[in-house]
Amino acid sequence: MSEAVMSTSGPPAAAEHEDRSSFAFIAIGALFFVVSGLVALIIAGKLQFPTLMGSVSWLTYGRMRPVHVNGMLFGWLLAADMGLCFYLVPRLCGVKLWSEKLGMATMWLWVVIVLGAVVTLLGGMNQGLEYAELPFVLDVLVTIAWVAFGLNIFMTVFTRKYQQMYVSVWYIMGAILWTAFVYITGNFAVMGTAGTSQANLNWFYVHNAVGLIFTPLGLGIAYYYIPKAAETPLYSHRLSMIGFWSLAFVYVWTGAHHMLHGPISQWLQTVAILFSVMLMIPVWTLVWNFLATMKGQWHQLRDNVPIKFMMAGTVFYLLTCFQGPMHSLRTVNAIVSKTDWIVGHAHMAVLGAFSFFAVGGAYYSIPRMLKTKLHSEKLANASFWLWLIGGLSFFVSLWIGGFLQGLQWNDPTIPFIDTVKFIQPYWAVRLIGGTLMFVGILFFAWNMLATYVNRSHAAAE
Amino acid sequence: MWSKFDRNGGLFIAAALGFFFIGGLITTVEPPLLDKSWATPLAGLKDYATLAKSGDTGAQQIMQGRSIYVREGCWYCHTQQTRTIEADTIRSGWRDVRSPVSTPDEFVYDKPHMFGTRRVGPDLSRVGGKYDRQWHVTHFRDPRSLVPGSVMPPFPWIVNDPQELDALIAYVQSLGRAKEWRPAHDYEQ
Repeated sequence: MSEAVMSTSGPPAAAEHEDRSSFAFIAIGALFFVVSGLVALIIAGKLQFPTLMGSVSWLTYGRMRPVHVNGMLFGWLLAADMGLCFYLVPRLCGVKLWSEKLGMATMWLWVVIVLGAVVTLLGGMNQGLEYAELPFVLDVLVTIAWVAFGLNIFMTVFTRKYQQMYVSVWYIMGAILWTAFVYITGNFAVMGTAGTSQANLNWFYVHNAVGLIFTPLGLGIAYYYIPKAAETPLYSHRLSMIGFWSLAFVYVWTGAHHMLHGPISQWLQTVAILFSVMLMIPVWTLVWNFLATMKGQWHQLRDNVPIKFMMAGTVFYLLTCFQGPMHSLRTVNAIVSKTDWIVGHAHMAVLGAFSFFAVGGAYYSIPRMLKTKLHSEKLANASFWLWLIGGLSFFVSLWIGGFLQGLQWNDPTIPFIDTVKFIQPYWAVRLIGGTLMFVGILFFAWNMLATYVNRSHAAAE
Repeated sequence: MWSKFDRNGGLFIAAALGFFFIGGLITTVEPPLLDKSWATPLAGLKDYATLAKSGDTGAQQIMQGRSIYVREGCWYCHTQQTRTIEADTIRSGWRDVRSPVSTPDEFVYDKPHMFGTRRVGPDLSRVGGKYDRQWHVTHFRDPRSLVPGSVMPPFPWIVNDPQELDALIAYVQSLGRAKEWRPAHDYEQ
């Protein structure tokens, strides 16, 4: 079943892509990646040395943690994802991006939002809801930016030359539509509630921020770049349909699994568990599709850097989405919930799977949109290995440490502080892994910058 | 039949939103309608926000303390929920008495909710009254002087501001006290 070759293989009639806003979005994403990575190292360091920079209020752990989380999610990943969408959607539609001007305006608005977020969060203006820390004004700006981004993508799709929409386009359109409602629920509607009702909306938002924003954007990106970078057709169009529509139906039900054993109705916990387990359907069909696409092409893993990122990202995605259903089960949840196991899981999703897809996409697209070659394949390859080794030591140390700490919590004869002392060496390994990843981020950002600066020189060769 | 969806944009949008709203509405709008306990306060639960507005200085202090707790991100490392797990009820308990589990009716006025997700430090859902004022003052100034090995940061800018310090301690002492469960003589104010 390899009937669905991406429609871009035909000559794009009149489309001469400018890619200005695509490049700019990826560039600011890379910049915020560096900054958020630095903040990450500082707060990981604070867990080893609690008084590190600790006497200044705005440099304390509780102020910097939301800068790191929001910086990574919105500053880096969402910016990079939007940039990649601006690259691939016009190509899949056979037309130019609807409006480069609007794209650039959206990008500048995004810069304002991220800078505003850093200032307000360090200043202690925190709404007290995870992923929804930003004040009302910034929430409104995010909404405007999202509408502008969505308008640009949808208008591009509506003016497309190719009637059939490739699966990447569905995922991206789905993400735009769902995100609108997920974001409004999690940042505006949530403010009118309190207690358990508010927590339920908060977890609906947090879960679907990953599940219906970063997942469909990341998967849409991977669906484009895997066949592109490997120069091979997608294995099955039908599997991609099953994966997409089952994701559309299943994901939204699962928010309450963040509250298992907590002060929320048992029946809602059970519903969340059932649907969490069902998530294996969209995940496994998608991973099957990606791996089968690579059939006969695995030799490319040796020196095709974007493919390395895409395949490692696919494996991380499979792992993280196997963990998810497993720790939704009550017995497993009783051990791992509230521990660093979950932190390892969350980092493998965002920093492992979806950041790998975005970085792989950037390594593939940036030279092409600048009509040049990548500054250094070696540096790109080094960033891959730093991320893979650093990431694995980061994730695995948190899983082991978190799981064992969870077992200790369930033995109430062990004083809590002893479980903190126990996990500290695992945090040290995480800090080392994170440092390796940070070096990888620097290599990535440097490579992008050098490619941009040397573009005319390289093209002339 | 599915191929219609990848050719017709309007149909696609309708289906994508339709699927989303089935689960979305059933898991967000419908549960509080079905489960009245989410919005029904426990008998005797104090609505500090309303009390503060009517001029109750104690309630005002607790509300100010709560806003400090939110501002400093205390909730990133401390949960406020005694879960339906035996060890939780023992860890949240007091001396040999087990704590009752947290129920939605205790949190009806919590805004923003402070259930939390991560326990870098211990759960605080029943911490009110367990330590005296001097313990908290010392602990906020230098956590490791009382709990060696702790990774909590010191909060000098709060300790050096008498109003903020009193407010934060008043808030911490108010936590988890809506349910009467501790033995009468084993209770520190």
